[in-house]
Amino acid sequence: MTASVSLDFATLARLADGEPAWAEENALESATSLDRFLASVERRAFRIAQMAVRDRDDALDIVQGAMLRLARNYARRPSEEWKPLFYRILYNGIRDFQRRRTVRSRIFGLLPGQWADDEEGPADPFEQVAGNLPEPSRQLMADEAMQALEVAVRQLPERQQQAFALRCLEGMDVAETAEAMGCSEGSVKTHYFRALQTLRAKLGEVW
Amino acid sequence: MSGERWTENERRARELFDASVEGLDAETRSRLNRARQVAVAEVERAHRNPWRTWLPAAVAASVALLAVVLWRMPGNGVEPVARPAEPAPAAEVVEMLANGEGFDVAAEDPEFYTWLASQGLPANGAG
Repeated sequence: MTASVSLDFATLARLADGEPAWAEENALESATSLDRFLASVERRAFRIAQMAVRDRDDALDIVQGAMLRLARNYARRPSEEWKPLFYRILYNGIRDFQRRRTVRSRIFGLLPGQWADDEEGPADPFEQVAGNLPEPSRQLMADEAMQALEVAVRQLPERQQQAFALRCLEGMDVAETAEAMGCSEGSVKTHYFRALQTLRAKLGEVW
Repeated sequence: MSGERWTENERRARELFDASVEGLDAETRSRLNRARQVAVAEVERAHRNPWRTWLPAAVAASVALLAVVLWRMPGNGVEPVARPAEPAPAAEVVEMLANGEGFDVAAEDPEFYTWLASQGLPANGAG
C-alpha cells in the first residue's frame, strides 16, 4: 500500500513538472544503453588515444570529450551507430589535440629555456598500481613488445594509424572503420594493407 | 575478432593491445568511470529537460528577430530612403524662374505657350 501511495506521489510530481512517465523511462533506457556502450569501449579508446598522444592525462581528456560529445549530440541515434561515431569523434579530438600541440611547441620552440612537449614529468604513483597483471617476466616481454608496436604504429601516416587501430586493435569491420574514418571501404583496405606491410617490415622479430 | 581471417601478426598485435588494456592502473580506470558517469548524466538531463537542448538556439533566434524588428522600426534613423517634402507650387515656380528653367521649358514646349496665348490671359500672368 505504501509503495502504491509513493508511486502515485511520484507520478503526481512528474506531472507537476510537466514530465510524462514515458519520458523518464526513455531517459533511463537511453542512459543505460549509453552507459553500457561507453563502458565497453572506454579503456580501449583510452589506450588508442594514449598511443596517439603519448600522455595519459591528455588521452583521458580526449576520451572524456568524446564521451560527452557522443552523449550530447548522438545519444538519440540508434545504438548500432554509436561505435563508429564515437571513434570518429575520438580521432577528431586526437587530431585537434595534435594540432594544438604542434602550434604550442612551435611557439615554445621560439622561446629560450622552454621544455619540450615530450619531456616526462615526475612519475604518477597511481600509474604504478597494477591491474590484472600476469607474471613479471611475461609482463615485461609483453610490455616491451607493446612498446615496440606503439612506436612503430606512431611512425605510420595518420590514416594508416587509424585504419590499423580500428581494424586490428579495436576489431571493427571494414564498413564500421570506413564510417569512423569518414572514407570509403576501399580506402580503409588500402590504408590497412599499407600499415600492415610497414609494421611487418619494422617489427619482424617482435611480431 | 568477429570471424574474420586474421594473420598471426594481427592476432599478436591484438593480444598485446588487449593485455595493455587489461593492465590499466586503478586511477585511470577510475577516471574513465567518472568521465562516463558525467556523459551519461548529460543524457538523462537532456531527456528530462528537452527544452534545455533547444533553449540556446531559441534565445539566439529571438534576439536576432528582435534586432531585425528594432532595426526596421520607423524613427530609428536608418530608413533606406527618406522622400523629401514636396515644395509648394508657387515656390516651385519661383525657383524654376530663378534658375532660368522657365525659359528652357518654353523653348522645349512651344505648343504649350501657343495654347497659353490663345487663352487670352494677360501677358504678366496676373488674374
